[in-house]
Amino acid sequence: MAGLLDKRLWIVSGKGGVGKSTIAAALALASARAGRKTLVCEVNTQERVSRFLERPAAGPEVTLLEDNLWAVDVRPQEAMREYGLMVLRFEALYKTVFENRLVRYFLRFIPSLQELVLLGKIMFHLQEKGPDGRPRFDTIVMDAPATGHAISFLSVPQVLVQTVPPGPMSREAQKMRDLLVDPAVTAMVLVALPEEMPVNEALELHAALRDKVNIRTHSAVLNQAFPERFTEADLEALLGHPELHAVAKAHHDRAAQAVLAGTKLERNLHAPLFTVPRLFTPEFGRDAIEQVMGHLEPMVTGET
Amino acid sequence: MSTTALASALAGKRVLICVGSGGVGKTTAAASLALRAAVDGRTSLVCTIDPAKRLANSLGLTGLGNTETQVPATALEPLGIKARAPLYAMMLDMKQTWDDLITRVAPPDQRERILSNRFYQSLSTALAGSQEYISMEKLWELRRRNSHELIVLDTPPTAHALDFLDAPNRVLDFLDNEAAKWLLAPALKAGKLGMSLFNRSGYVMRALAKFTGTEMLQELSNFMLAISSMNEGFRERARGVRELLEDPSTGFVLVTSPHPERMDEAIHFHTLLKQHRMGVVALVVNRVHPMPPEALWEDAATLTPTRRAKVEETLRELQVLAEQDGAGITQLQAACPGVPIIQVPRFEMDVHDITALWRTSRYLLGDESLS
Repeated sequence: MAGLLDKRLWIVSGKGGVGKSTIAAALALASARAGRKTLVCEVNTQERVSRFLERPAAGPEVTLLEDNLWAVDVRPQEAMREYGLMVLRFEALYKTVFENRLVRYFLRFIPSLQELVLLGKIMFHLQEKGPDGRPRFDTIVMDAPATGHAISFLSVPQVLVQTVPPGPMSREAQKMRDLLVDPAVTAMVLVALPEEMPVNEALELHAALRDKVNIRTHSAVLNQAFPERFTEADLEALLGHPELHAVAKAHHDRAAQAVLAGTKLERNLHAPLFTVPRLFTPEFGRDAIEQVMGHLEPMVTGET
Repeated sequence: MSTTALASALAGKRVLICVGSGGVGKTTAAASLALRAAVDGRTSLVCTIDPAKRLANSLGLTGLGNTETQVPATALEPLGIKARAPLYAMMLDMKQTWDDLITRVAPPDQRERILSNRFYQSLSTALAGSQEYISMEKLWELRRRNSHELIVLDTPPTAHALDFLDAPNRVLDFLDNEAAKWLLAPALKAGKLGMSLFNRSGYVMRALAKFTGTEMLQELSNFMLAISSMNEGFRERARGVRELLEDPSTGFVLVTSPHPERMDEAIHFHTLLKQHRMGVVALVVNRVHPMPPEALWEDAATLTPTRRAKVEETLRELQVLAEQDGAGITQLQAACPGVPIIQVPRFEMDVHDITALWRTSRYLLGDESLS
């Protein structure tokens, strides 16, 4: 398997609540540690990645968190402004047009424009060059929206290419689509928990991205898995201690559920699966992210 | 036996709306509440969005469309009890609800034009807040029909809490084409976009067109024209929705899980609901890890060393989880003073069958509690 380090755009998605931001933060940290200039992009969220890494929130400007690691919260209004300036070239003209109340009203309702500018900003950073002419960032980690929103978000370029008449919007969309579907550039990482709905949503997301957008899944993460601990013999021996038996049985069942979820994901995704065990730390901060990073090492390097 | 704020809400309210972030168990909470109300004697409807297949199956909902269906008595058999009033359930199909709405309010000669317009497609499927709007709209319609004593609404997983409360305004904004008329006036008159440089709106339009392409604007103006006759109808309905949300017989149930991120979102949501003067009946914290009783440690000490080590490690882990959850709940209570917090423990397996719904409802109603 080619590791994530062979790709430049790492997209992390899955059902809400599965720990996308945790995984995105761990992957970004791994990339930075490998010496890659890394930008982690959150899409209009509450900026969890910087919080997990115990750094001040990045906000809408690209901000250096630590060695090789930058973060940005991509927000619609700022992204729209940047895009508007790119198209119109002059600040004064931008102000006349885009800060017109009526125009703002229109911009809100142009189908998919908001998604287009959000994605557009991320794609811009992917192609951005530093003063030396080399890419400003080696790796872009996108903490993408949850399943339903992710499908519409990542399909936007494809949909626009198909439906919008030739023009600036469709040209932008075409460029973005080409990067998104290029497996040499983009790696899609799906995150799930060992529970029914998160696994199903990961599979749905996988199928939708493959069929609608032609993005293939690079790998999957089974997060918060309980490792196997109690054998059948253990459970039997505990029968005389009903309450302890219940504790052991619950653990055993959760571990079994993780194995089942893992098998289901592997069978249906045809992509390598990496398991991150449930962590038991009182505070979920940097230490926890570093532990998660350890478990994702083979996924990043491609060495198993 | 204690009773909770939800017990009196279940007996008195006409509408309960379960809100919260994705993946916290809103659907389960909504289904449990409706089930319990029906068992206790009120005709209830649970209106869900995208439920887990097994949950749908356990309510007898397989393959049903956008209409309410009575949950068969056989579905309740595993509980060994009979509901004293009928329980209905439905899965809300967003696109279908939008299309039905247009079919109902649009003049016949405009229907097809609207349904096939790209802006309508975007409004009905992609526009932020549109799912939230249409579920509110459906709720209003169901409530007006007045055929259920209690309606419990599950809501779409909301990425941004504001979408939910703003949805009626936002969609109204879209449909209210006063601004659009002014901007598009030259285009509408000429049948194409006005391009005069001397005309202010022409100038703005040209710059906009540079951004979107002219055909896009043309299509938008077509859509505006097509729906202009329906505005008053929409506005009236949106007013109805707002009144319903503020009505004292409507209550919000804020659902969260004890995860710190989800708690932050719940606090944020609570603040917004308060700002909008909407009543929060209770905060439900789902999947709480209870603290393992002290006695278990003594019991574990009697085991063989290997088993003892395994059990103690498990107990230590459970302790950490229980402490995390407890600390989160304390913070939550401090951030939302005066709102009753109801804890539901994490069950061993996914909550999808009717027995698990019933168990959930026992905690929601205070028959059992985590102390």
